[in-house]
Amino acid sequence: MYCVLADFFWRITFSTSSSDESRKPKSAVLSACVKWVLLIFFLDLLYCFKLLTFVVLLILTVQLNELVVGDTNGKLYVYKNDDSKPWTVRSCQGMLTCVGVGDVCNKGKNLAVAVSAEGWFHLFDLTSPSKHPDASGHHELAEEQKPVFKQHIPANTKVMLISDIDGDGKCELVVGYTDRVVRAFRWEDLSENSDHVCGQLILLKKWLLEGQVDSLSVNPGPDGLPEMMVSQPGCGYAILLCTWDSEQQPTIEGRDRSSPSREAPLRDVILHQTSGRIHNKNVSTHLIGSIGRGCSSVGNGSGLFALCTLDGTLKLMEGADKLLWSVQVDHQLFALEKLDVTGNGHEEVIACAWDGQTYIIDHNRTVARFQADENVSAFCAGLYACKQGSNSPCLVYVSFSQKIYIYWDVQLERMESTNLLKILESDPEFGSLLQELGVEKSDASSIQDLIYKTLYFPEKLQPNSPLQCQNPAGTNSSAHHTVIQNPLQDS
Amino acid sequence: MAGPCPLVEDSCSRLPSQSNVYGLAALPGAGGLLAATLKGKVLHFRYQHLRHKLRPVARELQFTYIPVDAEIVSIGCFQKSAPKRGLVVGITFIKDSGDKPSPFLNIYCDYEPGCEFDLDSVAQSCLNLELRFTPLQLCHAEVHIGDRCDTVFLLSGTDPGIHLYRENEGLHQFEEQPLHELFPELQELPSSALWLDVCTVPSSRRRLTAVGCQSGYVRVAHVDQDTRAVLQSWSIQQDGPISTVLLFPLEEPDDDGDVAGGHRGADDVGPSAPGPEPTPHYSLLVASTIEMSVVYRDVLSRGLTEQLSLPGSDHHDAVLCAMLACTALDGGREVLLGTYGQELLCYAYRGRRCGFQLLWTRRFPGPVLALCGADLTGDGLREVAVGCLQGLHVLQHSLEPTAQRLKERLRREVARRAQQRGGEGTGTPK
Repeated sequence: MYCVLADFFWRITFSTSSSDESRKPKSAVLSACVKWVLLIFFLDLLYCFKLLTFVVLLILTVQLNELVVGDTNGKLYVYKNDDSKPWTVRSCQGMLTCVGVGDVCNKGKNLAVAVSAEGWFHLFDLTSPSKHPDASGHHELAEEQKPVFKQHIPANTKVMLISDIDGDGKCELVVGYTDRVVRAFRWEDLSENSDHVCGQLILLKKWLLEGQVDSLSVNPGPDGLPEMMVSQPGCGYAILLCTWDSEQQPTIEGRDRSSPSREAPLRDVILHQTSGRIHNKNVSTHLIGSIGRGCSSVGNGSGLFALCTLDGTLKLMEGADKLLWSVQVDHQLFALEKLDVTGNGHEEVIACAWDGQTYIIDHNRTVARFQADENVSAFCAGLYACKQGSNSPCLVYVSFSQKIYIYWDVQLERMESTNLLKILESDPEFGSLLQELGVEKSDASSIQDLIYKTLYFPEKLQPNSPLQCQNPAGTNSSAHHTVIQNPLQDS
Repeated sequence: MAGPCPLVEDSCSRLPSQSNVYGLAALPGAGGLLAATLKGKVLHFRYQHLRHKLRPVARELQFTYIPVDAEIVSIGCFQKSAPKRGLVVGITFIKDSGDKPSPFLNIYCDYEPGCEFDLDSVAQSCLNLELRFTPLQLCHAEVHIGDRCDTVFLLSGTDPGIHLYRENEGLHQFEEQPLHELFPELQELPSSALWLDVCTVPSSRRRLTAVGCQSGYVRVAHVDQDTRAVLQSWSIQQDGPISTVLLFPLEEPDDDGDVAGGHRGADDVGPSAPGPEPTPHYSLLVASTIEMSVVYRDVLSRGLTEQLSLPGSDHHDAVLCAMLACTALDGGREVLLGTYGQELLCYAYRGRRCGFQLLWTRRFPGPVLALCGADLTGDGLREVAVGCLQGLHVLQHSLEPTAQRLKERLRREVARRAQQRGGEGTGTPK
């Protein structure tokens, strides 16, 4: 039986209504430059029952993270701390399907990226100080802020990833499409001035896959180099090979559609079906790679990645052939994230179902469950500066009633239940202390008794201890034990 | 004002239906907990040791003779007094088949040798007693008859009165016995008793009994266990129903310097005095549903005259349950209160001048109905089980800091002993 975690999450609610007239002027200034993307969540449009869609992600700045949300009306909302009104709102063209934050232009500066289903690619520079006037009258203008860059790329976008996928140290933009195509783009900078965004996206490569792509991720391969990984239906995944370095320099879109690409997918896509039970071949599958496993095993070959399916299968794998665990649940899992909730450096796998049931599973397959109050249309997890001016692990749920719920400071002391004896078992100092006190290390009940008396009756240990020295521990102490236990016992 | 809760939640088990204030009982030893829910289901919660791992397990126990349309009111559980031993579980429920609700008390106890502690077989051997009153709290108490000890069930009812159920040796079954012989202090209550607490005064043949009633009437009695003579009795009338009464020894903090209760000379020696335990200063916590909860200090010598209030305990709706715990691990005792307003409040006694102070609060997802302290994980530390409307939460001491604290105290103890040995060696007394 699993345990349900219910009450240790503090919750705040954000309203996403942008028509609120009582909005206060924003005077906050983004102080730090945005460094890297932490987490991205994309709402799968195929399973969206309402017109209004949200795309949520968390950005990590040097100090404090923001939350970026995109909707189907083309609005991009940025939330800061526990303010239930957006810190800023931007307008985009079309229905937003992909939102991301990252150093797309490779200028050492994070930009917000929003791509609409119609193929409009928008870049926003949220760090620009001039965009946040503090007079309320100017705020309506600020809301109409135009993107710093806009370009049309092929339409029917579905998911997006901003990451270094070929190991050259520079970020690429990878977009998954509803027509089973994945395209990788690279920003080509045309300006000399580093402050000004001027350039264009150049198509690097197009991969054609057999099934729908629900997630894009990067995971270290056996050689430690990043591998581009996409999910495939039926709990499968495919590795996309980045072959542009060996080929000629970036092709243009027209060339890509020409004949040579016809045979390219066969060579460039390595499909993997994970072993085990027979899956529904068409079930929607999500994956997340590069799951942190502490500093001990850095650069140790293949990274950890997790897969989840809409019919409730969850898997953690190391490389293509090593299944670490597999869990079957009766909830429809539609989102997969990773988050270190215990603070031990190991990132737990977090899977969320449509009905709000959330599973937090560690590398040893210990499960913690949490039930969100409402049905969930979008979910993400990551570090967000919600309260007290510091980043804390947060779970973000977007409901179907136009509300964003943030459960902040989601921290567990540990995933597995344990007791003090097990904690101290391997402590050499405790062993020698026991020896000096004449308590046998294998005698669990005597140790239990010693713990009980030392912690609950510190003042009573002293007068009794001379007797303990003479008598073997246990006989005398247990007699005393029954007397002093009475005050705490419930009748 | 209130600090953070030093306990961490280790597990939470969802209950199949809602529970109530009488729905939680601790099994003796490290047996775990029994949580009864309204719709006739009883959950057995415990920590299972599995391959060097500890796993919280909550499973439904199938108690026989509980009809499908029964609604459980209360559950109680005890281990028979020495030398018999064996587990006894009592469940009261109301069977409502439509025309007239009929209340029952089921007592589960297995006489088969070897099966006395097996919960599953205990749950199959049932004695079904029909009641003529609506049952409330089911608690148990130890009685001394001659040189024999016996544990009995005490069931409060709306007739109003307390009913006693004791095992008949010859018949091997429980039966209702007259209350006035064994518990004369519980007779003639003005209204239904909502909570009853019986506590044996250590190293004496006396007991203290406290009862809180729906009308706000509170009675405390000091009774000789052998003759069943009521030595002293106090009563007080408060406003509003009394949800919980709790008798507990309350010691003055060391820094207070004011030793109360001058009639006991042993106190002057202090708590570190060797020899028999001095009689503790028993205090009585009275938790009220509409008023502030109060503690009557040193009941044995002062009766119900010296009242200390628990500030802020009336700010979170009715207080429903109370428990004594040591969450700070500083040697002192704290009072935990669970409220309908979803808060768990912890109060520490800071001496007569400062009284009780709110130490920490912790919020729960539902009303806190029942509290129970027991060593569930089997490490000597006592966990706090919090029964909420929909779930059973287990709070545990934060283990890493506790381990550090334990090692620090043991280091001090080792050093002290070394010093003592050295002192004895040279012949100079410390």
